[in-house]
Amino acid sequence: MDADPALSERAVERACRIVEVRRFGPYALLSMAAPDLARRAVPGQFVMVAVPGGSFLLRRPISVHSVTSERVRLLVEPRGSGTAVLAALPVGETLSVAGPLGRGFPLADVTAGLLVGGGIGTAPLQFLADELRGRGVPLLAAFGFRDAAQARLAGAFDIEPLWVATEDGSIGRRGTAVALLDALEIPAQATVFACGPTPMVAALAAWATRRGSSGFASLEAHMACGSGACHGCVIPTSVGYKRVCSDGPVFPLGELEG
Amino acid sequence: MRGTSSTPDLAVRLGPLRLRHPVMNASGTFDLLEAEARYEGDLVASFPFAAYVPKTVTLEPRAGNPPPRVTETAAGMINSVGLANKGLDHYLGELPRLARLQTPVIVNVGGSRPQDYVTVVRRIEEHLAGAGATPLPDIPAYELNVSCPNVATGLAIGADARATAELVGAVRQVTERFVVVKLTPNVTDIVVVARAAADAGADGLSLVNTFKAMVLDGQTLKPFLGGRTGGLCGPAIKPIALRMVAEVASAVAVPVIGMGGIVSGHDVLEFVACGAAAVAIGAANFTGIAAPSRIVGELRAEMESRGFAGLSEVRGSALPGVARSDFAD
Repeated sequence: MDADPALSERAVERACRIVEVRRFGPYALLSMAAPDLARRAVPGQFVMVAVPGGSFLLRRPISVHSVTSERVRLLVEPRGSGTAVLAALPVGETLSVAGPLGRGFPLADVTAGLLVGGGIGTAPLQFLADELRGRGVPLLAAFGFRDAAQARLAGAFDIEPLWVATEDGSIGRRGTAVALLDALEIPAQATVFACGPTPMVAALAAWATRRGSSGFASLEAHMACGSGACHGCVIPTSVGYKRVCSDGPVFPLGELEG
Repeated sequence: MRGTSSTPDLAVRLGPLRLRHPVMNASGTFDLLEAEARYEGDLVASFPFAAYVPKTVTLEPRAGNPPPRVTETAAGMINSVGLANKGLDHYLGELPRLARLQTPVIVNVGGSRPQDYVTVVRRIEEHLAGAGATPLPDIPAYELNVSCPNVATGLAIGADARATAELVGAVRQVTERFVVVKLTPNVTDIVVVARAAADAGADGLSLVNTFKAMVLDGQTLKPFLGGRTGGLCGPAIKPIALRMVAEVASAVAVPVIGMGGIVSGHDVLEFVACGAAAVAIGAANFTGIAAPSRIVGELRAEMESRGFAGLSEVRGSALPGVARSDFAD
């Protein structure tokens, strides 16, 4: 079970039919019939989705929100014109999906999990929570959103307990997800799992260092190939530029501080 | 042979290279070892391209440009990667992993000064000569990426006909293999540089590299790319690339590898009609792992439906006053 996530099963490219769409304001949770991809994916991995309609060249990297034996779910934020098309897709549409890609969250030695997400970066944490729950690992989650409109994303999650903060204080505690942590009872040995905007990840990395916690963050970047060829998606780390698509998207928090 | 239903022959010649079809990959857009590690299936055994052009290698490792490095543009994309690579020593160490490939490998070389190119090519020649029993791929050719800025002048070597000629002449001294020069389109007259390269001993020319371009961040109205500017590619540049390939193919005797926005088999035919002996696909590789085999399949189907027995029937048809016999290669 604890296979090295770097050595998870290899990717495939499949035509996947959307069988269910749940909408949370402008956000869409797309469920696709994709047993082949569902079987192969591990938490923290992503897929490259072709935008239907022929107007877009590049696939869009979307992290896997969750899987069942038959389905892969993707939580899509309409951020640019390509993701706007994806978020508006109806049931019955077929998407070309390549994946799973990237290295997932290492889970081998995890005895408790703290899941911290910001904005659309919360997306892969459902899959992680499902996996940890299946292993009997206790967890808690803290999500941060800009405002009440973005906090509608929380409706796409089934995680207990889930604490929410908004920057404008309209829902939950006022402030960031990281500020929220100081109010929570967090097991000393909890491994931190994060996904969200760069400032959130940097703040969380500093928080984890202060506390002596180890952890991992899943990052996002503009991508072209999604499989290590083009070096287009690099991010700066303490050990130089790393490719989000193939060295990541999951990195040790210690490499991301500052 | 027109009107027959026989399967068209897609094979082409590129100097000493016999390619089973005209489609190779553009350097930096497809990494066989990475794709093989990631995707199901045996990509080495079923390699879709007729030649493999790995990412540009430079003498020393290069970290590349600050991110962000890529984004989509209208009908294309822009990139500012900056020739990130692990350097020649690492490159030589990886070569045995390509030994199983039944397809020629064209080594793409970059550098910041002419001497760097010469050193890289000389050391590869020494490596190949001294390999002994070490299994290595078939490396019949080099492609010189002259779009890199010259540290001495800050200008791309390929933007200067004299600097290009000197570089080609120097590389010519250290290898007998087929030397292709990959031209930059960021010049006033690409034919001048093409002629200079051919006259200096280049065996072939590939064009076009990407067009220097800029995109802005919609919020900040500042350059989006970490490197401020980048190279534009994809279908948006295809008409310009076709024009340049046609100009160069009309002006030089050496074979031309055409590239720039090819995403379909029909696009391949257009480049061949403009005089290309072979083509490369770049941005299309980012549309999916199956893109090259789809494009080759489309090319075969279109040749069949048009009744072309071979690509020589198409070659140069868009050029003024060109007879098929003008293409000796």
